[in-house]
This record gives sequence, C-alpha cells and structure tokens, in this order.
Amino acid sequence: VVRTRVAELARIWPLSSKQAEEIRDVFARHGVRYLFLGSGAILLRFPDTTQNTDLYVEKSPANGAALVVALQELGFVLDDVRRAEIQRGKDFVQLKDGPFDLDLVFAPDGIERFGDAWDRRVQIEGFPVCHPSDIIASKAAANRTKDRESLPRLRAFVDYWLEKHRR
Amino acid sequence: VRSASAEELRQWLRNFDAAAKRPLRTRFRYAFIHTYKPVLDDAGYRSFDTMEDYRAWCERELPSWLGYGR
Repeated sequence: VVRTRVAELARIWPLSSKQAEEIRDVFARHGVRYLFLGSGAILLRFPDTTQNTDLYVEKSPANGAALVVALQELGFVLDDVRRAEIQRGKDFVQLKDGPFDLDLVFAPDGIERFGDAWDRRVQIEGFPVCHPSDIIASKAAANRTKDRESLPRLRAFVDYWLEKHRR
Repeated sequence: VRSASAEELRQWLRNFDAAAKRPLRTRFRYAFIHTYKPVLDDAGYRSFDTMEDYRAWCERELPSWLGYGR
C-alpha cells in the first residue's frame, strides 16, 4: 500500500527538489557528464511550469556506462535492452516508470556539440545547467507548438538574466 | 513566434523579479507539475535512434493539443 501511495505521489510531483538533489549528487559521484536542458530554465529562476525533466547527456561509452549505474542507484529498473540503449546513447530515451519521469537527450535540436554546451554551462547550487542561449536555441530548433508559445517569454527572461549577470 | 506587448513585457519583468527572490526548493515545489498526457504517459519506456524519429513519432501519435507537433 505504501509503495502504491509513493508511486501515486511520484505521478503528482514528477520531480521534487530532493530527487533533483539526488540526481545531482549521484551523477556527480559516478562522474556523469550531463546538463539540465529545457527544465534548466526553472533552475535559472524562469517562473514557469514544466512537466518533464530533460537532461542533455554526453554521448560516449564511458559516460553511458556511468549513467546506467547512476540511474540504477536512483531506483530506475533497467533491463538488458534499456541498459544497452542508454549506454549506446540513442538520441532520445524516455523513462516513465521509475521514481520520476526523465528524458535523456543525447543529441538535442539546436546544439551542435556537448563539449561546447558544457563549456558554456551555468552552475546553480551544484546543478549543471545549459546556458540560457542554448536552451533558447534548443527550443527554437525543436519548433513545436508549445515551444513557439513559450519562446517570447523565455527570450524576455534570457535578456533579463543576461542583464542581471552582466553586473 | 509572436511579439509581446509592452504591458506583457512589464508584467513578465515583475514575474522575473519575484521569481528571483524564491529559493530553489520553492521553485521546484511549484514548477514541476504533472497532468496526464494521453499516449505520451501510457508507456514506461521509449527510445529513438534520432531526434527526427522522436519528433515524427510525436507528430504521428500524440494529440495535437498537447503541443508536441510542429
């Protein structure tokens, strides 16, 4: 009963701050190279809501292997197929039956190389976050209806954020 | 992509100022939400070889009102 209730609550709260901290700490412990992508805007203080946690993960055999171990430590149950696909770094992997929903993006639209995004990253309380210009580039390139709706406000926020961080 | 009106921009700046004062835990508490998304939430796991495959799947399989189409 308790497990069921916990699972229900996980559905209501897709990612709690405690779980985010667990991602940060477990990934750091295993040396996983990743960045918070679209949902990273929330970490940058963009006042909005999001329904998914998307991480931009470096595609490399070593990083994939570390990622699999870290995900299992976080409570994701991964069979052989899942482990292989994540380790290989398929462009997009969506996990929806773990402790929280998680999108792993190995080749986001609008960002050429992980290394460049990593060099531009913003660190927020230990969380590695894509630079706001990369978040904008990713959403602009994805060009979904929901991206087009959110972009004007996000662009205004990035201007605001850049102005604040120039000082 | 539409342009914001001057009044919208003023309101957004007020929102940004207010959000800047909120601690991280509060931002998580109110920013990460869940509503049921048909089809998208009906499988525990999906993977795609390319982002283009994923975008095409969204276009083909998801209700348009979810906003994942182009």
